[in-house]
Amino acid sequence: MGKVKIKRKSTLIDMTAMSDVTVLLLTFFMLTSTFLQKEPVTVMTPSSVSEIKVPTANLASILVSPEGKVFLSIAGEADPTVADGEWATEPIRKEILTKAVAEYNRIHPSKKVNLTEKDVEVFSKLTTFGVPFQNLEKFLRMSQTDQDKFISDMNNAGVGIPIDDNKDLEKPNEFQIWMRAIYSSGNENLQSSMKKGEGIAVKADKGTPYSIVHHVLDNLQTLKMNRFSLMTALKTEQD
Amino acid sequence: MAQIEQSDKGKKKKGAQKKMSIHVDFTPMVDMNMLLITFFMLCTTMIKSQTLQITLPTNEKIEQQDMNKAKESEAITLIVTTERDAEGNVKRDDEGRPMNVVYYYEGQPDLTNVVDGKLANNNIHKEAFLGNDGAVQRGIRKILHDRNKQVLEKIDKLKVQWRNKEFSPKSETNDSIYQAKAKEIRNDSTLTRPVVIIKATPEASWESLIGALDEMQINQISRYQIDNINQVDSVLILDYIGKNGK
Repeated sequence: MGKVKIKRKSTLIDMTAMSDVTVLLLTFFMLTSTFLQKEPVTVMTPSSVSEIKVPTANLASILVSPEGKVFLSIAGEADPTVADGEWATEPIRKEILTKAVAEYNRIHPSKKVNLTEKDVEVFSKLTTFGVPFQNLEKFLRMSQTDQDKFISDMNNAGVGIPIDDNKDLEKPNEFQIWMRAIYSSGNENLQSSMKKGEGIAVKADKGTPYSIVHHVLDNLQTLKMNRFSLMTALKTEQD
Repeated sequence: MAQIEQSDKGKKKKGAQKKMSIHVDFTPMVDMNMLLITFFMLCTTMIKSQTLQITLPTNEKIEQQDMNKAKESEAITLIVTTERDAEGNVKRDDEGRPMNVVYYYEGQPDLTNVVDGKLANNNIHKEAFLGNDGAVQRGIRKILHDRNKQVLEKIDKLKVQWRNKEFSPKSETNDSIYQAKAKEIRNDSTLTRPVVIIKATPEASWESLIGALDEMQINQISRYQIDNINQVDSVLILDYIGKNGK
C-alpha cells in the first residue's frame, strides 16, 4: 500500500477585505470626531429636551466647578479665510490676554502683571484657563504637566478666576475683566454671537448648589450679558 | 511579508511566461488600523452638548410703575430646592433620583391671617419633578400643563398636521412653518397663558433649576423668568415645612 499523502494547505488568510473595513471605519471616526476637551474638572451637565447644539466656533464657555471655581475657555473663528485668520482661536486668545492684563494693570497699579511674549504664546495654546491674574506669570511658566496638575487642584485658593458680587463696573472683578476682554477682542463674529446669547455657555455640574452658579449668572447680568446659554445633555427616556 | 509564489506545477510549456501570484500579508496593517480605531473611539465625543438659551432681566433699577407686572391670575411662582444631607450631598429617593422639590404658589403670596405664629392662608404647595408616566403628566409638569392647556391643545393639533406634512411635502419647509406657527400660538395673547416666575433657594441643585426651565420648554410656556428668592418666599416655605414636615 502506498502512503496517503496529506496535502499541506497554506494557512494564509487574505486580510485585504478586513483591512478595507478597518480603513473605512477609521476614516469615519477621523471625520466625525471632535476631541474631548481637557478640562480641570469633569462635570456632569443636567439634561434637557432642548435640541440646540453648542457651537464649536466663536464661543466663550464658563465652567463652574462644584466648589465654585470658575474657568474659561475661548474658541475663535473656525474659518481661516474670515478676516485673514486674525479671528482664529490663537490670535484672539493673545488679544484677549493682552487686553485683560492691561485692564488689570490699570486698575491695580501696585500689583502689575508683566508677561513676556513667550507667556502669551503659551496662553494661546491653553484650552481652559482659570487662575487669578497674580498667578498668571507663575502658571504660564510651568511645564504642561505641572499646569494640568496645578489647575486640577480644587482645594488650592490660587486656582479659579476670582469672582464676587461686585456690581460696580468701574472697578470690575477679575471675571468681569476677562468677560469684557473677550467681548471686545476685535472678533466681530464672537461679539455678535455673544450678543445673541449663543456665544456664552455656562457649564456646571448637576449637583452644584444654585448659590454657586448664581454668582456667575449675577455677574453676567451686571455685565449686561443677559442672554446666554446653559449647557445640558440630551434627556434620556427615563427622565 | 509580501510573498511571490510561483504557481507553475511543472506541466507548462517551456517558454511560456511564468505566472506569478502576489500575496501581500495585510495582518500588520489591520493591527495598526485597529489600534487607530480604538484610539479614535476612546477619544471622541459623539454626542455634542445641548444648550438651553435663556435671557435674564437687566439688573438696572426699574421704576415701580414701569414694571411689567404679571397679572395676578396668570402668575405662578415656582421655588425649586433640593434636599441635602448634613454634608451638602444631594439626597436621593428610593429609585436613586435626586430629591428635587418644587414649592409653588399661584398669584400673590398670602401672608394674612396669622394664627399662633402660623400662616393660616398659606397658599404654597409642594410638588416633585416626576415627568411623564406614559401619556399622563405627573408632579409639577401636570400643574403647568393644566395652566397652559389652551396653548398645548392648539399645539397638539398643529403637531398632527406637522407629522402628516400638511404644510409642505418638503420636510425642511414643513419644519419651519410648524415652528413659526407654534411660536405664534405660544405668544397668542387671546389664550390664557401662565407667567411663570422661577426662583431657586441657595441649596437648590443646578439640575433642579435646569429641570424647571426644561418644564417651560416641555409645556410650551413662553413667558417665564428667573428671579431671586426673597424674604416672603422663605417665610412661606418655612411655614409650610413647620406645618407639614419635609
